[in-house]
Amino acid sequence: MPEEKIVCQNLGHVYPRGKIVALENINLTICSQEIIGIIGQNGSGKTTLVKHFNGLLKPTSGKVIVEGNDTAKKKVQELAAHVGYVFQNPNHQLFAKTVEHELEFGPTNLGLSKEEVQERREKAIEFFGLQDLRLSHPYRISFPLRKLVSMAAVYTMRPAVFILDEPTTGQDNITTRTVYRLIERLREEGSTVICVAHDMILLAEVVDRMIVMRNSHLIADASPREVFADTELMHSTHITPPQITSIGLRWPGFGQKKVLLSVDEAVTALTPSNPPVNS
Amino acid sequence: MEDKKPIIELKDVTFTYASTETPALKNINLTIYEGEYVALMGLNGAGKTTLQLTLNGVIPNMMMGDFEGTVVVSGMDTEEYPVREMAKVIGLVFDNPEFQLSQMSVAEEIALGLENLGTPPAEMHRIIAESLEIVGLAGFEDRSPFGLSGGQQQRLSIASALAMKPRIVVMDEPTSNVDPIGKEEIFAVAAQLNRERGMTVIMAEHEVEVMAAYADRIIVLHKGEIILNGSPHEVFSQVDTLKNIGLRVPQATELAYRLNQQGLAAYAGQYPATTEEAVQDLTEKFGKGG
Amino acid sequence: MQGVAIPISMVAGDSYIHRLNPLPKLFIALGVLILSFATRNPLILGIVFALGLLFVTMAGIWKSYLRVVGILFPISLTLVVMQSIAPAFPKPWTPITDFGPFTIYQEGIYSGVSMLARIFSMTTFALVMIMTTHPSDLFTALQKIGMPYVLNFILTMTLQLIPILQNEFAIVLSAQKSRGMKGSGFGAVLPSMVPVFVGAIERVQQLSISLESRAFGSTGVKTSFRNVTMAFKDYFILIFGVLASLGVTAWVLLDKSLDWSRTMVFPPALAIIIVALAAIGFVVFFVLALSYVLRA
Repeated sequence: MPEEKIVCQNLGHVYPRGKIVALENINLTICSQEIIGIIGQNGSGKTTLVKHFNGLLKPTSGKVIVEGNDTAKKKVQELAAHVGYVFQNPNHQLFAKTVEHELEFGPTNLGLSKEEVQERREKAIEFFGLQDLRLSHPYRISFPLRKLVSMAAVYTMRPAVFILDEPTTGQDNITTRTVYRLIERLREEGSTVICVAHDMILLAEVVDRMIVMRNSHLIADASPREVFADTELMHSTHITPPQITSIGLRWPGFGQKKVLLSVDEAVTALTPSNPPVNS
Repeated sequence: MEDKKPIIELKDVTFTYASTETPALKNINLTIYEGEYVALMGLNGAGKTTLQLTLNGVIPNMMMGDFEGTVVVSGMDTEEYPVREMAKVIGLVFDNPEFQLSQMSVAEEIALGLENLGTPPAEMHRIIAESLEIVGLAGFEDRSPFGLSGGQQQRLSIASALAMKPRIVVMDEPTSNVDPIGKEEIFAVAAQLNRERGMTVIMAEHEVEVMAAYADRIIVLHKGEIILNGSPHEVFSQVDTLKNIGLRVPQATELAYRLNQQGLAAYAGQYPATTEEAVQDLTEKFGKGG
Repeated sequence: MQGVAIPISMVAGDSYIHRLNPLPKLFIALGVLILSFATRNPLILGIVFALGLLFVTMAGIWKSYLRVVGILFPISLTLVVMQSIAPAFPKPWTPITDFGPFTIYQEGIYSGVSMLARIFSMTTFALVMIMTTHPSDLFTALQKIGMPYVLNFILTMTLQLIPILQNEFAIVLSAQKSRGMKGSGFGAVLPSMVPVFVGAIERVQQLSISLESRAFGSTGVKTSFRNVTMAFKDYFILIFGVLASLGVTAWVLLDKSLDWSRTMVFPPALAIIIVALAAIGFVVFFVLALSYVLRA
């Protein structure tokens, strides 16, 4: 039975300056071990939404409950042990002289003992494969590795939910694949991962639930297969599905309205011994 | 390409950044022709940005390091001309849109370069209007550059480069910090500059599917060297080489490659790269299905 | 979330003052600055201040003006309190009355009140200038009378950079709070400042390459996009304003009878009321400001 991790009840947010409505009546339940993709244009409300998950923003109407805590009554610092937020630009986060110090910052803030801080640091170094970088200066390592360090620095806080803002932007194929693997491993360890992302392959092959935001509203909450199949919805968000999905939708040979999410699925569908997969 | 004139020629270019030991570019020989749309691909650190910075002379004129070889752009040897002179033939757009802006209004942002060239104010207004029109920002003159979306900021950077009337535009991962609408806008502007205005476009980009559709030529860099250089078909058909260095191929190509490998369909060394080609190819090989 | 925005910036408008060339406004503001430092006479400073308020009305910038004054006034009140009990004035001081453990001096009250008048006369003129002038126009006008182009650029960019860095700081603070950082104290200094500084350095490096790639720094004649001209009225106001402020300055310096420090007598009750009100005003402001900061 999946546990409820984040629950939004009629969540609304109006920015005080200019009375701009950023979120309207969002109802959402996020459970343990889900990998969620949140998409939408700039200004659609997706960033405002995830900032409610760790208390950086408080609802102006409705409620957000994180592991049983009403976020309105908790400080960001208190919620940090429940929800970890990895910002898009690692440079906004890293400040320490060495990667090791960077990883110790979060758990130290949580008030853990020195032994436990070190233990968590070692676990993070192993999990993210940062062995060779422990004493490096975070600003002197390449951008993709810096991004991993910023993820590891949140990992050491052992949150139940990870929010990853554009985890693969500006990264090449190798590092992108590494991030996919890490997201899946986080789930295996029991965490929930929420990706605010436009990386189509991430959404198609890693994510199992997509939330689509537009004009402050949640307009879709469904599996990637269902979202990609809805050409009208996709068009309205200006998001192009993966190429393989487009090919599958245009060539009738895969079967009626066949929504493919990966090249693997396409190859399987064309292998004669395999019965056609239901869409 | 026989009838086209070379506009960029690199001869034996090697560059090593100061305080590093391994060269960022190794023995690059490359000719780019007028009106080409060239995509630069490679892993982070493969030398794409470094190569682009040699094209307008930022390397070696502004960056410390050890430079060998010659770069000639539109007849100008970059070692002999300051970067600001090169601006009249080649414009650069970088990956972080916000880091390229400094002025209080869109019009002033574009005017900055023109003021430096001593352009008369009357002409300046005309050029600003024209440049904004090209990138689809007409009417934005008085807006603050910092209040624009990422895609708009990036198009403003393109407009600022275009105001100098260059013949070449170089873009370094211009879409990496913008949302999907912004991506669409930037790719559309780049394609329009190339197709309608005959400008030479050189773009570093990770999105293989988009580049397969737009680029005339793809150059793959790996550890500072050019390892592949040809049409999208020629380059993407080298699936094994690309996979070995960790690069992705378009999913259309990947599908054909896998079908070929498993004996489900036969390809003679050339795979489709775009969605249209894949659909046509599947129809030829498998019929309409059903 | 976005930090407290600096309220001092141009207020859009089309008043007579808005349409003036920036130079007369700048030089009159400078003239008033000199005059304000030249005299302590509360009447003269009061007249200058009233004149400034007239210009605030003409420019239609009361709302933005009051927002700045709302912060400046309570802070300036401390001056009145401090001056009254410890005047920045040559001794001997004339005690008026006791105020708790302190003694209030005649020279102190005079000094405090005149400093208040001084601050308000010069800031009012400065604010009228700033709030009715587009910074780019000001820099272009200065460039026309010989300010180097590069300095113009640096000033513009600095003005742009302030809100950007404020914004960056807000993002970094959110990022670190998300990692459990306590919002205040010594431990918060490095984690919240280092990323902002490193980012600023990176920004400037990238900007310099980008600018150079757009022909910045070319030698030869430069032109300017903004068209700032001096009309007859601008020359007239410039000359009149500068002569008037310098004329009055010369007068107050020469006519010693305008020094009212000994003649303007404060009765003990009035002195206590002034000091007490100033103290209460400041404390109220301080408590309000503190509660605002703690809430954020």
